[in-house]
Amino acid sequence: MTGYVIRRVLWVVPVLWAVATITFFLMHAVPGGPFTQDKDVPPAVNEALNRRYHLDKPLYQQYALYLWDASQGDLGLSFQGDRDVAKLLKDGFFVTAQLGLMGLFVAATLGMVLGTLSALNQNGPLDYLGVVFATIGASVPNFVMGAFLVVVFVVNLHWLDSLGWGGPVQLGDVFHASAYNWRKLIIPVISVSVLPAAFIARVTRASMLEVLNQDYIRTARAKGLKESRVVLRHTIKNALIPVLTIMGPTAAALVTGSFIIETMFGIPGIGRAFVTAVGRRDYGMIMGSTLFYTLIVTIANLAVDLAYAAVDPRIRYR
Amino acid sequence: MSVRNRWFLLFTALTSAALVLAAACGSDKESTDKSPTAGKTAAATVAGGDQAPADQQKITIQSGEPEFYDPHRSNFEQDIFVERMLFRALYNLTDDGSGGVKVVPDAAAGEPTISGSVYTVKLKPGLKWSDGQPLTAKDFVYGFQRECDPDVASPYQYVLGAGLGDLKGCDDLFNNKDAAQKQALIDALGAKAIDDTTIEFTLNKPVATFTTIWSLWAAYPSRKDVIDKFGDKWTEPANIVTNGPFTLKEVVAKDHATLIPNPNWAGQKPALQQITIKFIDDLSAAFKAFQNGELQATQILATDSTVAEGDASLKSQLIVIASARITTIEVQMKDPVLGGTSSTDPKAYNLRLALSKAINRQQLVDAAYDGVHAPALYWVVKGLKGFQGNDAFKNIDYDLEGAKKALVDAGYPGGQGLPTFKLIYRDTPERRNEGDFLQKAWADAGIKVEMQYVDSKARSAAFNSGEFQLFQGGWQLDYPDIENPLVGLFNTGGGNNKYNCSNPDVDKAYADAAAATTEDARIKAYQAVETAIIKNLCGAIPMYQDSVPFLVSSKLGGVGTNGVIHASEPGSYCAECWYVKK
Repeated sequence: MTGYVIRRVLWVVPVLWAVATITFFLMHAVPGGPFTQDKDVPPAVNEALNRRYHLDKPLYQQYALYLWDASQGDLGLSFQGDRDVAKLLKDGFFVTAQLGLMGLFVAATLGMVLGTLSALNQNGPLDYLGVVFATIGASVPNFVMGAFLVVVFVVNLHWLDSLGWGGPVQLGDVFHASAYNWRKLIIPVISVSVLPAAFIARVTRASMLEVLNQDYIRTARAKGLKESRVVLRHTIKNALIPVLTIMGPTAAALVTGSFIIETMFGIPGIGRAFVTAVGRRDYGMIMGSTLFYTLIVTIANLAVDLAYAAVDPRIRYR
Repeated sequence: MSVRNRWFLLFTALTSAALVLAAACGSDKESTDKSPTAGKTAAATVAGGDQAPADQQKITIQSGEPEFYDPHRSNFEQDIFVERMLFRALYNLTDDGSGGVKVVPDAAAGEPTISGSVYTVKLKPGLKWSDGQPLTAKDFVYGFQRECDPDVASPYQYVLGAGLGDLKGCDDLFNNKDAAQKQALIDALGAKAIDDTTIEFTLNKPVATFTTIWSLWAAYPSRKDVIDKFGDKWTEPANIVTNGPFTLKEVVAKDHATLIPNPNWAGQKPALQQITIKFIDDLSAAFKAFQNGELQATQILATDSTVAEGDASLKSQLIVIASARITTIEVQMKDPVLGGTSSTDPKAYNLRLALSKAINRQQLVDAAYDGVHAPALYWVVKGLKGFQGNDAFKNIDYDLEGAKKALVDAGYPGGQGLPTFKLIYRDTPERRNEGDFLQKAWADAGIKVEMQYVDSKARSAAFNSGEFQLFQGGWQLDYPDIENPLVGLFNTGGGNNKYNCSNPDVDKAYADAAAATTEDARIKAYQAVETAIIKNLCGAIPMYQDSVPFLVSSKLGGVGTNGVIHASEPGSYCAECWYVKK
């Protein structure tokens, strides 16, 4: 198992290199540069700006310089304000990860509870509730859900707020209650969690139903075990594997941020920063964000694989 | 279906209905006049007795996030908007009360003393930076040196260069590539501190727009000792020094900036004790936040302004400003069909005329922008001295039968034999509506156009390379003078003349404008330039002058308009005038 983990970790390096290479050359192939604008930029300005950001060098030199610097943790500067990319990613990820983790917690809890209750109450009212929820959650885009909630709870009822991030912006504030403004947090968290919750609910339901129909469950009931023990000890654990399969990519997607939700609510996360960087041809930010996302997805997939082994003792990696 | 399930379904249906009703509450729309209310002031300036106590003098407003807080590196409106609160130049622009602007002394004690090409400006006595250090003539000179320095790479150096500000030596310094020559060129720059309160500017020739250009961010002072000490980090809140009414307290990237009063500002003391600028790009979200009281001022979308017009409490807080931008369809004159064999090719001219006459501009702004923008047949925007308006250019106005006739005169009756043109548009929802409208309007006249929606950078790249046939463009004023939307844009070889307008009538008009010796003659000459451009449809087909809607809380007083300047927050040229009412 240790060897497996080490091998997976070492694979990250060539994956990052491949992603960096593809992104670098694709990025430079797209029309328009970071200083392109409608008003004519005098040649002297262009030359000075290119010198400042090393864009006057041949492409292969820029590529080699970038890889060298990145290997030492230097992701360069954002063209927007000359800010350090690594710091921007760190600060942005801190916010995005909070939103993602809160969303994941809500999605997982709500999804698994609803899915379990639906399965246990098959074709009953709770099952129908689960179906309705899953249908709405899967059909309505998160930004539509967010907009609807804002209109109801912010504009009309004034119960909640819609602007800005309601959580801590520094690690040191995470355990300070005063750093949290729940009025600002509720709608963005619900918006990002509804779709994954719907998906998790359906997968949980299907998986639970499959396990509930297994012979060993019938045997457990026949032996006189309480239903709660049958469900909690024998059913849920076995039903979790398919759910875990989707949790990895779900976690990665949530934790890397939703551009639309972050833009709608003015949340200073990396999702918004990344999409803005693409539009502005902010090369440093594009490269840094892409490599960062790659790392997150890789780690998330590894975590899911390890979770399989933890949940199912039959699964062992060599 | 069981009874239990039926009750459950009924409960679900009632809950959904309640939610929908809650969403619909408060969204009554009445049909209203959709014409823009240019220059309307939502909150009248009220005497200081109406001010809330100091601890309540805090506001939160919306803007885009600045790239830089350094005025000599800034390119975007959101940067300049904030910098206007942090810094001040020798002069400042202010609303003249009738939709235009006037220039007033700010750091300068008065008008410059002019002797030929030498302009001498005296500073007001006792001016200070926010850290208490004296603000001297040397600081202004250093600001001009930075503006002309290629290593600073100011995108707006050109306003001080040849043909506009004409500051002696600025272009030489900016275009210099020899490091050994740099200091000599800096020393030769036509900005000198005669003493602590006197600055002498030597220009290449007398410039009618001296005080206007010297009011811009390009002319803000800089502190050499601070920049030498902190380098590019001199604008961080812990390091920055400012000479304007406010200073920078805090910046959280992607989130907000907080401004507080500059204790050493010599001008009108701000009533506001804190301005928080939230960086919000989604104007629809900003609109909702305003309705919830989270923002006291925000720009909103044109479509949301219709909603605001229909709500009694929002309507009184709505300001629609006729902005400094003209939107046009630009035509590549090098295209053999659109530009013809020469600049006076009558067939090509008739084709361009057909394109113009096929556009019902009022319907366009109604369909795409709920009537907020003002249909325009002109290039020089309303609010500028020399504005001629639509009446002067009626011959290019909407006339579908006229468009079809022009197409016949161009040799393409009913569009037969006419190739399909490509029109490059920026890819946003509003621009798509606009583009779809134009495509249909031209199709009605017999002209086929293929739309190409691209992002902002790809669009700019296409424009700069001249690789386009039709292009959605226009011009936003950098400063409020008739020369700004004209110089370099339509004259042969002009730096921004990417549509390659090259017409003898137009070039002659430019030459006459350059030679004008009085203000009236200069204005008339530039009017003639505009007339020559529109008469020949040389590279541009005007569509509308933008209007920008804002919501400003009725609890926020002292907010005027900027006249026809940047479409930034209303009254942002005097943020020290704002206050929270009791």
